[in-house]
Amino acid sequence: MKKKGSEVRGQGSGVAYATFIAYCIPYVLSILFLFSLVTTSHARIYIDISSPGARKLPVTIITTGPMQSKEIEWIVKSDLDATGVFEMVDPDIPGAEIIVTLDVDMSVGLKVVLSVRDLIENREVLKKRLDASTVIIRPMAHSIADDIYKVATGKDGVFRTKISYLKELASGKKELQYMDWDGFNSKKIISRGLTTSHNWGQDGRYLFYSSERKRQWKIYVLDLDNFTESLLFSSKGLNIVGGTSPDGLISFSSSKDGSSEIYTVNKYGKNLKKLTRAFGIDVSPVFSPDGKTIAFVSDRGGTPQIYVMTSQGKNMRRVTYEGSYNTSPAWSPDGEGIAYTGRSNGKFQIFVVQSDGTDLRQLTFSGNNESPSFSPDGTFLVFDSDRDGKRGIYVMRSNGEAQKKITSNRVKAMTPEWSPYLKK
Amino acid sequence: MKKLVAVCLLIFAVSCTKTYTRPSEEEVKPPKEIQEEVMKVEEEAPEEIAYARDEQIGERDLSPAEVAEVAKMVFSDIHFDYDKYNIRPDARPMLDQVASFMSENGDYNIVIEGHCDERGTNEYNLALGERRAKSTKNYLVSLGVSSPRISTVTFGEEKPLCTDTSETCWQSNRRAHFVVTGRR
Repeated sequence: MKKKGSEVRGQGSGVAYATFIAYCIPYVLSILFLFSLVTTSHARIYIDISSPGARKLPVTIITTGPMQSKEIEWIVKSDLDATGVFEMVDPDIPGAEIIVTLDVDMSVGLKVVLSVRDLIENREVLKKRLDASTVIIRPMAHSIADDIYKVATGKDGVFRTKISYLKELASGKKELQYMDWDGFNSKKIISRGLTTSHNWGQDGRYLFYSSERKRQWKIYVLDLDNFTESLLFSSKGLNIVGGTSPDGLISFSSSKDGSSEIYTVNKYGKNLKKLTRAFGIDVSPVFSPDGKTIAFVSDRGGTPQIYVMTSQGKNMRRVTYEGSYNTSPAWSPDGEGIAYTGRSNGKFQIFVVQSDGTDLRQLTFSGNNESPSFSPDGTFLVFDSDRDGKRGIYVMRSNGEAQKKITSNRVKAMTPEWSPYLKK
Repeated sequence: MKKLVAVCLLIFAVSCTKTYTRPSEEEVKPPKEIQEEVMKVEEEAPEEIAYARDEQIGERDLSPAEVAEVAKMVFSDIHFDYDKYNIRPDARPMLDQVASFMSENGDYNIVIEGHCDERGTNEYNLALGERRAKSTKNYLVSLGVSSPRISTVTFGEEKPLCTDTSETCWQSNRRAHFVVTGRR
């Protein structure tokens, strides 16, 4: 019998959390890793994640080093296990096709030698030395998981990406924060005014958001390199940011001319283009990954539904027909699917539909679930849910499997947006 | 293949070793030199964000005497049906009161806040709250209040009066709220 990854993970979690607390407190402004790439030799893709129903790749992870090194192992296993691509095999049991060894040295800073060995061909496919001057376990572990994922699948992992979200404070006010993809390392970003919609620029450097300050709803942009905020767009009425395109455009809704319509501007807030003209409410415009199409919400048909049009406002077409309330669209990174929030039997649920309106699938069934956003590789969806009584952030695979709350039960959190791949 | 590796190393050297070389999908011989790279790992949000400056438009703060005067004149909220923004008949008496206050007190302006219940998407509810505020404004204008004296703002579902999951609570949150301000 092979030992499942989830069981292994369960044993380490208490230690992991304690050491996380202990080692994350002395964070400095920025910490540098020194990477030495010793060997890069790689011949084949072990798992083709694009083929449906692919088998799981059996992997064994062996860690040597001080007690805290177990936390690194736990995070790596947790990351890999979440994808559903790997099967964690206990070191004492045969059957693994890949063996990962982590030699951890914490005598000065944190040094890890990562080795990935192909047991079928009996050769080393990756060897890498990771060196940090300070003990920063979580980013190091996520980086290792990215490396292993890349070797096994040929694709970039998302374990070093971030999720921005709103945290509700005791006063009822919401604060814009971001955190690691697994819910750790939350950072407060914007607390001024009433912040709601937010989204990432495609290079991960800028965060766009709408804030109400002095009774004016304006769109702001935060440069994450220097934490300086600028005003992107303001006008009379309601201005709510939607999404961003690969060539730097920002889509948003504005009621500057009366009714709420869809507009785009460039990253300087200039070259305003009005894309819709309808009496009803048009909100939540998001670009398809290639930037050519915009999905948005309109009640022009009597109820709020998802529509698509070109990024020039042409060829408008309704996508959703099931149900009387369908909002907050999010494109899958391959550009084929749109996830959205829909009301079904009086509750809000996450659905995915092809952008031509076919192949509708409901992914959540318990409580109210809203605000879906895809990971940049399309493996996961993040969303918020009140299924356990307190609204929080959840991650699931994009087929609806493995739904898991990632924010603490002490925190009320909502409206997550997954970052693109971030510059490292 | 050797050429490819050499070119890769050259590019690497020229670009100041900024990018991490991922293992390529084709077989590549191990590089003879050790490649080193400095990688930024963690950014800490600073205590203070350099916020953009915002200006208040078209309003002034009330003087203490005016605050006392306004406190005597409390307008009740008016309410709306679910996903609707039309003025209900039960809201008309209160709107008549607001309109006569405005015509008798020329020194004041009024802000109408549109609010929604918690159900539904924040963005759609913001737009809906704006519609509620605007239809309230339109009604007051139809009663003779001058349009520039009325401003509107939506708070969507962001400022609920209560947070129970019940129709009574939802109804009290689906409202337009009146705030008296000074006239510039």
